[in-house]
Amino acid sequence: MKDQTISRILIFFLFISAVLVYVAYESVRNIDRSMASSDWVNHTHEVILEVNGVLSSVRAGDSAVHTYVITGDPASKAVCHEAFGVLGGRLDSGELGEHLQVAEADTRNEPAQHDEILRLIGLAGKRADFARALLAAHQSGDTGSVRSLLAADEGAEANREIQNLVRKVTSEEMALLADRDQASYLQADNTRKTVWSGVVIDFLLLGGVAWLIRDDIATRRRAAAALRESNEQLEARVLARTADLASANEKLLAENLERRWGNQALEHQLRYNHLIVNSISDLVFVLTKAMNISRINPAVVHQTGFEAEELINRPFSSVVQLLDDNPGADALLLNPGPPLAAVVPMIGGIMGSEGPLIDPLTHALSEGRDLRDLPAIVEDRRGRKTAASLTLFPLRDRDKVVGGVAILQVAQEKA
Amino acid sequence: MTAGSDGTPMKKHILIVDDEANIRDLLEEFLTHNGFRVTTVPSAYEAQQTVKRDAPNLIISDLQLEDSDGLDMIEQLKSTLPKTPMVLLTGVLFDPKVVRETLSKKVSCYLEKTSSLARILHEVQRLLAV
Repeated sequence: MKDQTISRILIFFLFISAVLVYVAYESVRNIDRSMASSDWVNHTHEVILEVNGVLSSVRAGDSAVHTYVITGDPASKAVCHEAFGVLGGRLDSGELGEHLQVAEADTRNEPAQHDEILRLIGLAGKRADFARALLAAHQSGDTGSVRSLLAADEGAEANREIQNLVRKVTSEEMALLADRDQASYLQADNTRKTVWSGVVIDFLLLGGVAWLIRDDIATRRRAAAALRESNEQLEARVLARTADLASANEKLLAENLERRWGNQALEHQLRYNHLIVNSISDLVFVLTKAMNISRINPAVVHQTGFEAEELINRPFSSVVQLLDDNPGADALLLNPGPPLAAVVPMIGGIMGSEGPLIDPLTHALSEGRDLRDLPAIVEDRRGRKTAASLTLFPLRDRDKVVGGVAILQVAQEKA
Repeated sequence: MTAGSDGTPMKKHILIVDDEANIRDLLEEFLTHNGFRVTTVPSAYEAQQTVKRDAPNLIISDLQLEDSDGLDMIEQLKSTLPKTPMVLLTGVLFDPKVVRETLSKKVSCYLEKTSSLARILHEVQRLLAV
């Protein structure tokens, strides 16, 4: 948009410049024409003045020569000389000659007028020749010649002819003057119109430029306002997004801390539970429902000589057996259930012969009941047997028996 | 909340006594993040020294410490700071009846270490009235 406006403004200024150049060119040309017209007017007035001067000089010379012939007044003779310049015998030495020379020169570029001037020169020359002849006759004292010259003179007729010719030239020059005045007026009017038209067109073009600039400024302001609004919206979105991210980050941090705290609490609790179990000096066996060992405490390792990995997932009966001379094993059940043989099949053990004695334990776990202080024996890695008192607790998870904990208090060792 | 020398509000000071470093670190990070000034020590002896030097607005203590019992330490600190809330935060799970009838008379609040941080923060804010 910016480049387009500048291009338009440049085009407008090109038009303005072109109009100014045209107006200046036309004005200078018309000024030159006016100056030429003015020269020509002066020239025309000069021609009119000179031909009228010719008439005056002829009349003055004629009158003076006649007066001199009649009166012999030297002043009249001087006037005649001044008018016709006849002292030296040359036409161009008097007023008449000067007028004719100037008129002839002024009309040299105007053939029609020039011909008439030449004719005037001829007529005026005759009057000058007559005056010279008359003066010469008078000076010689030849009165007869003077009389004959005066009698033959057609001065009045010649003067009328000169007067008519002067009037004609004057009339023609005045007509040309009127035509050229009209042409000069038209040129001046044309110049005036050209200048005013140029001024008006330039003002219109300047108005167009002003409108373009104003429109461009308004457009720029609107664009700036839109940009500002867009920036504000963007800033608001960035702020909102930043706040969202900060909030999400805060939440994430809190969750992370909470998870780390939960993990350590769990680890702590687990370690604490292990600590409790491991600190018990009695033999603790954690059993599955199938009566396999799933965990032991260090007292078991100490008593049996087996490492934990050797006992885990092994049958409980491989290490511990209830005494088979226990009178009325069923009677030892705190809450007697169905007959043992009918409830649990025999679980074979490493020790083989004592296997059937484990049944009361399985039976109690299957019913979720405790057994307390049963006489039993613990056999170690070397086959030594130690008497112990066995207590079994079922492990309940949400009211469901998932295994059991057997605790044995060792009473004495048997060789 | 009182103001500091630079005009900013002074943060509440919490003393954490626990023999386990990871618990001290986690609690310090969490409570600091929530706008508290936290001091952590591993033993009852260092807790006594800290209390003398920079009295806290609240004390959180484990039950089993390196050199003492948390409840004994709390009893001793009460003589110095009778109005300061004392929180027992322990992994030893007490019977609700024991908590209600015994512990509640000795400490301002009993929390298990299995409690969430949000719960711990809630109790801290409640006791400090912030």
